[in-house]
Amino acid sequence: MKAIEVRNLNVIRDGKLVIRNANFEINKGDYVGIIGPNGGGKTTLILTILGQIPKLSGSIKLFGKDIEEFNEWEKIAFIPQDAVNFDNNFPITVKEFVSLGRLGKNKIGRRLNKGDWEEVNKTLEFMGISDIANKRIGEISIGQKQRMFLAMALVRNPELIILDEPISNVDPITQEKFYKKLSDLNYKEGKTILVVSHDLSAVFCRMNKVICVNVDVNIAEIKENTDIQGIVRKAYGEHFYFVFHRHECKGEFEK
Amino acid sequence: MIELLSYQFFQNAIIGGCLIGIICSWIGLFLVLRRQVMIVDGAAHTAFGGLALGLLLGIDPFITALIIVIISILIINKMKTFTDSAIALMLAIGFSIGLIIISITRGFSIDIFSYLFGSILTISREELIIISIVTIFITIFLLLFHRELIAITFNERNARVMGIPVDLISNIFNFIIAITIILSIKIVGVILIVALITIPALISLQIKTSFNNTVIISILIGLFGIILGIFISAIYKLSTSGIIVFTLVIIYAIVYIYSKIKIIKREKL
Repeated sequence: MKAIEVRNLNVIRDGKLVIRNANFEINKGDYVGIIGPNGGGKTTLILTILGQIPKLSGSIKLFGKDIEEFNEWEKIAFIPQDAVNFDNNFPITVKEFVSLGRLGKNKIGRRLNKGDWEEVNKTLEFMGISDIANKRIGEISIGQKQRMFLAMALVRNPELIILDEPISNVDPITQEKFYKKLSDLNYKEGKTILVVSHDLSAVFCRMNKVICVNVDVNIAEIKENTDIQGIVRKAYGEHFYFVFHRHECKGEFEK
Repeated sequence: MIELLSYQFFQNAIIGGCLIGIICSWIGLFLVLRRQVMIVDGAAHTAFGGLALGLLLGIDPFITALIIVIISILIINKMKTFTDSAIALMLAIGFSIGLIIISITRGFSIDIFSYLFGSILTISREELIIISIVTIFITIFLLLFHRELIAITFNERNARVMGIPVDLISNIFNFIIAITIILSIKIVGVILIVALITIPALISLQIKTSFNNTVIISILIGLFGIILGIFISAIYKLSTSGIIVFTLVIIYAIVYIYSKIKIIKREKL
């Protein structure tokens, strides 16, 4: 079954064509990187898929249903761009924050029950942040903030997780740990993951598909013999040069 | 001091003040976190025009004020890109309409004065009943949609993606702001409402605890400031609204200095 199907999608923002005739499919269990230059339309594409930006033409299907009819938003979790750059004075603990993930269209005004809290505790444990559960979100490190957002997404028990540049401005080790966690979620938990990233090495080492967005949208499978240079040039232009050595993907970077 | 509590008007003032204190402190926390407190100030000032209009037309001034406040909040929210300018515009329009009406009639300047600066000691039994009923409804809403409001306050777009009906909840919340403003006019008046909304929230945010605890602290501080303010003003025969706000300011200053000293001590360790 397809998690996402996009057909002939065109999107206009501020009078400018931002997405031109996009056509692609994401299968359940795919781990997809979205790459492209700043202003190329990556965030627009994601927000259109999430129904937050109206499309000019074309169709979007989520889990087999047209977006206009789709109402199972519990199946999808979204981590917005620069999510970790929030106001550190916001008065909420990690546990309270993660519990917000249990909210949804069909749960409006509902008090969290014992089962919800068990799920929250289990997710905190899974993400390795149960020791900071009662700390305020402004007092934890960036790496912990990332895991907290991922926990908030996971506590919904989603089938599809969409992340928009979740890890800009972090050190390489934290970055690597984050992608490792995403790989585990994809490989071990079977989650479909879509992540906007500028870390091309992480995309080509870990993910099985890549979507290049620069107004035009191209999708490619990432395999041993994939023409990576050709793919990145579709996104960043003919003069872009990306040095990639697959053998460096061994060890920590292995899929 | 105890003797004061035996007076009906004083009991009404304490109960009415506490009820308003609860909702102002609670919604104030969300408004402070959303950086929207000035919407209250702008809307409260338009209430002045609404009150004057009601007096002129011989309608209950609180009804005209409520309508005008709702309209002004809608306009401010509509002009999202220029929120501060929209607030300034509404404030100016509301106040100028009020002044024009007063200058036309010259007949109800005493009434208007009480609306500007509040008259908590004149809360009637009927007004107390209305305040109680409204407070119950607002409390139920805030309890039911507590988490949704936190999610919307933290990140509106993410809340939408989660399937939370952001527009519906925000519109109800705006309506609650309008009602709170109208009810608060009796307590602190048009000019000082923004203080009742802002200061308890600002104090509670200095404590740095969980969201639920921050809400509770904000409410307790609001109640403490109002009760203490009413007593001090009654004993020393001073302006009640002025003393309530000043009491809250003093508490804020103490908590602020204490939290700064705590940070300096922690840094030295």
